[in-house]
Parts: sequence; structure tokens; C-alpha cells
Amino acid sequence: MSQAAALAAGQDAVTPAGRSPRRRGRSLWEPSALLFVGPSVLLALAFLILPMLGTFFYSTQKVSPLTGDTTPLGLENFRTMLGDDTFVRALLNTALFTVITVPLSMALGLALAVLMNSVLPGRKIWRTVVYLPLVISGVSVGLIGTFLYNEVIGVVNKLLVALGASSGIPWQSNGAWAFISVVLVTLWIRVGFSMIIYLASLQAVPPDLYEAAALDGANGWQRFRNVTVPLVGPATFFLIIMNVIYSFQVFDTIFVLTNGGPGNSTEVLGTWAYKVAFGPTRDQGYGAAIGVVIFVLTLVFTIVQWRANRSRDEVA
Amino acid sequence: MSLNRRQLLAGGLGLGAAAGLSACSGLTSKAGSSAPSGGASAGGPVELTFVNWSGDEEKAAFDAVIASFQQANPGITIKTDTVPYASVQTNLDTRFQAGNPPDLFRVSYIDMGQYTSQDVLLDLSASLDANAFEPGLFSAVVANGKPYGAPHQIDTTAILYRKDAFEAAGITNIPTTLEEAWTWEQFTDASNKLAKVTKSGQSAFIYDWQSAGAYRWLTWLFEAGGALLTPDLKAAAIDSDAGRKTVDFTSGFFKNGWVAKNSSVKSTTYPDAAFQSGTVAMAFAGSFLVPTINSGVKQKFEYGAMPQPRDVAASTDLGGNAVVAPKSGKNTEAATKFLQYLVSEDAMRTYCQATNQLPTLKSLTASQLDFAIRPDLMAPFVLQAKTLTPEQVAQVTVPQFANLNLALQNELEKAFLGGRSAADTTAALAEAVQKAVQ
Repeated sequence: MSQAAALAAGQDAVTPAGRSPRRRGRSLWEPSALLFVGPSVLLALAFLILPMLGTFFYSTQKVSPLTGDTTPLGLENFRTMLGDDTFVRALLNTALFTVITVPLSMALGLALAVLMNSVLPGRKIWRTVVYLPLVISGVSVGLIGTFLYNEVIGVVNKLLVALGASSGIPWQSNGAWAFISVVLVTLWIRVGFSMIIYLASLQAVPPDLYEAAALDGANGWQRFRNVTVPLVGPATFFLIIMNVIYSFQVFDTIFVLTNGGPGNSTEVLGTWAYKVAFGPTRDQGYGAAIGVVIFVLTLVFTIVQWRANRSRDEVA
Repeated sequence: MSLNRRQLLAGGLGLGAAAGLSACSGLTSKAGSSAPSGGASAGGPVELTFVNWSGDEEKAAFDAVIASFQQANPGITIKTDTVPYASVQTNLDTRFQAGNPPDLFRVSYIDMGQYTSQDVLLDLSASLDANAFEPGLFSAVVANGKPYGAPHQIDTTAILYRKDAFEAAGITNIPTTLEEAWTWEQFTDASNKLAKVTKSGQSAFIYDWQSAGAYRWLTWLFEAGGALLTPDLKAAAIDSDAGRKTVDFTSGFFKNGWVAKNSSVKSTTYPDAAFQSGTVAMAFAGSFLVPTINSGVKQKFEYGAMPQPRDVAASTDLGGNAVVAPKSGKNTEAATKFLQYLVSEDAMRTYCQATNQLPTLKSLTASQLDFAIRPDLMAPFVLQAKTLTPEQVAQVTVPQFANLNLALQNELEKAFLGGRSAADTTAALAEAVQKAVQ
């Protein structure tokens, strides 16, 4: 048995010849581990932890955009939010966007995964086609969206008119339609992600469970409802967390596709934070405060989901 | 060609108040006269960083001016850093915050106030001759009585129109002077006629108030005799009869279907793209867009230019830029030398002619320029520049103008696409403006 296999089997590894048994205690601390972990830790520190701490600090300051000088404001930036109509609108839009896109992208992803896991001809090609939008940057997807949804020269409206519609849809000048265009583009990107995670999960479901269910007389829907759905539970939990975080932080696609307009109808927390901090008014303190709100909301949601999921597992 | 152009421009050239023009020859040894000569500042060769945004023609023109400056000043080299307009402010903020601002950078007149209010720019009182510039334009770079930038060029908005669309609509009264400019009623009439001949997906015109251009709506307000701020610049003056009339009239562009709904103030549909793609019969466009539009239109259709409509007055917007140096720069002496050169007569002429932009020096506004591209279109732009008053310039260069521009963008969008009434809109604007200037 190799050392790795022995470890995996829960046995003590055989001490290599020529090594003192006393050194085994030190093997927990392996200096070469630093070489592997170090770069990631440094990157996370430089680009994640420090900026995050910086955001918390700046959210309580007034920041002069040119000199970078800060003046303490306490919670003033957070108080400003309460009277900021655009912030409230962005918060509601973000919630609405999350409530619509997360279940839809997961349901579609699961449906596609089940399809791809069956005897669909050309499965590999279909998987690639559905997954492809995920590897394109959000900015590119937004740009593709602008070609599709431009209400004067866009492909979608030209197609609608060619199919006999009297006029196109006001994708850019009507708030509700603009919101729908953002949701459609987002689904296009996110469905592939949900599908690939569900697919991996489905492939781990033992086929004999389906056979047993079939023998017990369960029909297709019952097999899906009572076997597939519970067994992909961990994947669902993972996807809810990931998709909710994504939806709370959505920025690039909306920024390029609608820039929050028309009016503020597609403004979300991410775009509003950016506009406040780096737009013409350059209020970086207030922008950071909105960032903190996004962080806290995401954190609270994740904790709630995590606890709910843990208790469910315990009950099971 | 040259003769036609000169004939056309003969009547048009001359910016600013007539009084300002009477003393137009008073160029001194300060900037605005001839190119300075001699070597670099003491201490050996100097490399200056110049952050700007530029179209192709502008970049080529900057390169040409820089090359001739470097030839005259062998000790100084200038490295240009061309960044997209959309990110220039973030770029500069970052450089300033890192304590390493560029030696020179370009600033829109409407953004000057943001920099002067934070006292980060080099005082050019000793380096520029105020009398050499058009007074109304020079005031755009002045704060607390001191100039903090070299007023490099301006651009104004006029109307570009398709000749075939005008023929189809039977429009023949095309104005060539400010006095002949269409009244708002005549403009209404022409737009209605054009709306009848446009096809699906096309519209009568597009106005250039998108995104940061929201302030160009003020042109209509000024035409109606209104003002954004009171003369002391300390309070809102928008909630007035002229303000309501202007909101009403401009909202009508959308209600009457004269403009595409996706060309509102928050949109990313710009007039040059719409005009080139042939979806509009008229485009309100800045002169700086003429080179881009001309290469985009090619021979697809013929087009001309005419002044914007007028109501109680003719007006336009203050487009254009100054070039400035930070006061904490490491090479302020060399930077000042370049700024002086940039606004010298020769350099300004070279730059403006190559880019279809308008000069700020009295000596050049009183003379004829050989614009490189479609010079036959330039007369209306030059005429429009005459309509800018120092009072209007003052309103768009206050330190809080970024906030005012944002308020215009947000509130006008609600009137244009949300159908909010003129009275509610001017009241909301007044409130937002008041909050910003206090």
C-alpha cells in the first residue's frame, strides 16, 4: 500500500527508510506548503482582504477625490441612503432581479442538465453551447445585448417586425421592458453555470435508485421529484448561494446594456455604487458605503441559507 | 474650394462680444503670441506626461504640435497618454491620489470647477495674457480671479441635415445666419414635415444631450431666455416660465415622435452614430464630430450644416477643453512652457484647422481658418460660438457643475420618458440644483 493510499484508508503511513520516527510530528508543518499557499494568500490579501477593509473604512469617511484626504463622517453616508431615492430604487431592483433570475436560471439549468444527462443526441455539443456564454466576459455579453435589444436597429425588433408585429418592443425607453431585457441576457449567461453544476451532481446519482423507484411504480415526474431533486440538494444549496451573490453583485452586464436606464428602472446596487464613486460626483465614501450594504446583505443571506441547509441535513 | 470656403467664412468668423474684438491685436510676450524658444528648464532634459482623450484627428494634431514644440525645445520631451474620455476622470483621480499626477492634462470647461475648487491646479497668472483670449471663453478657466488652465479650443453645436430628407419633406428655407435661424415654431413645422417622410426606425432628428452632454439642454433654456442659476451663481433660477416652456417644448420631441425614444439624456445612442447610420434627418452635433461623421457618411448621402433654432435669443453650448498643469507637478516650469506654446497662435491654428474645432485667441477668431475637413460646413458652428455669453459660461463652470449636470440628466429623463409635467420637472430641478450649490 502506498503512503497516500494508507492515509486515505485511515492507517498510519509507513515511515520511509532512513527517517527518524521523531520527525513524523513535524510533518504537520511542512515549509514547502508556504510555496503553494503563499501566492494565493498574498493575492487574496492584496486584492480581497485589504480592499474590503479599506471599503469599511472609507464608508465612514468623506473622501476628497483628488487629494484622497479623508474626513470622518461616522454613519452619515448610511443616513444619506435613507433619503436617496435612487439607492432605494436600486435596492428594490436588486431584490427583484435576484428573486427573478435565481430560481429561473436554476430551474432552467436543472431541466437542461436532466436533458443533457439523458440520451439526447449530440450531448457534448449542446453542453458546450449552453456553457459558452459563461466564459465570455459580462461586458461582451452586455455588448451583444445592445445589438439584440436596440429598439431602433436591434436584431430582436427587426425580427418581430419581419414576423408581422406592427412595431418593435421599447426595450430601451420603457423601464419594464428594459428590465426584462436585462433578465433575459442574465439568464442566458447563468443557465450554463447551473446546468454544469447540476450535471456533475446528476452523474453522481446511483442509477439503481431510479431502477428501484421504477420497480415501485414511480412515473417519470415522481422519479424526478422524489429521487433527482433531493439527491441534487447539495448542488442546489451551492447554486443558490452562488447565484444570489452574483445577482447582488451584478454590474458589468447592466452597466453596458442599459447603464441603469431608462430613468433608474434598471439601476442596481452595483451600478449605483460605481456611479456614485467614480461618476461625475465622485463621492467615493458614499460609494463604499453602498458596497458595504451589498456585502452585509450577501453575508446575511449566506448565513441564513447555510443555517437552514445545515438544520435540514440534520433532520434528514 | 478654398475661395468658396473663404467667402463662406468671411461673414462668419469672429467669436465673442464685439467689444472684445476691438482690441484683438494686443498680444504680448506672454502666451498667445509666438512660440517660446530656447532649451529646457535648468537641470537637464525633462520628460512631461500629458494625459488626454483624443479622436484620431485630435491625436494626430496633438502629435504635430508636440513635435514642433520639441523641435524648438530640445531639452523637453512630451509623452502623451491617451485614455478614453469615459475613464479620464478616474485615471486622473488615481494619479492624484497616488501623489503622482501627470505634468499636463486635458479638462473640459464644465469640469474645470471641480479642479479649481480643490486647489490642485497651477496658477498661470504670470504665464498667460488674459487680453489675448476671448473674454467669455477665458472666464471658463478663471477661478478667484486667476487663470488655472490654458483655454485651448472650443466646440459648439449646430445642425447637420440630410439634403435628400429636406427635399423629400419640401423644406427649402434653410438658414445660413443667426438672424435667419428657425424660430421654435419653424423648427416644429420642419420636424413635423420630416417626421412624415421618415421610414420606420428613422426619426426627424437627434439631439446631443446624451450622458455627460445633458447640460446641452441648457441651449434651449438659454434660447427661451431662461437661466439655470441666479446671476450670483448661488441659487437655482430654473423654476421659471422660461424653464417650464423649455421642458414642455423639449419633452415634445419625444411626445411628437420627432426623436427616437432611445436617444434620451441617459442613453448611449450618440448623434454621430445615428447620423452616419442614416436613421435621422438632422443631427445636433458638435463641430468636433465633423471629421468622424464625414468619414462615416462617405458618399452615402449629401448633407449640410445650419445654425440651431432660436427663440428670444440664439444660443449654443460651451463645448471644448483647457489644458492644465497640477501645482504639485515636478516640472511646472517646462509644463508652463508647453501650455504657453499650445495656446500660441501658430499651434492653436494648426490644431483647430486639423480637428474642425474653434480657437480661443482673439487673433484667430478674427481671422480665417483653413479647416481640414468639410470646411464648407463650419460657418454655422463659428456663428454659434458668437452666442455664448460670459454669464452663460459662468453657469456651466461653477465647481458644483458635475452635480448640476447629473441633476439635469436624472430629472429631464423623467420628463422625456416618464411623461412628468413641465412644472413638476422644473420644481424638481430647482430643488436638486439648490441642494448642489449650497
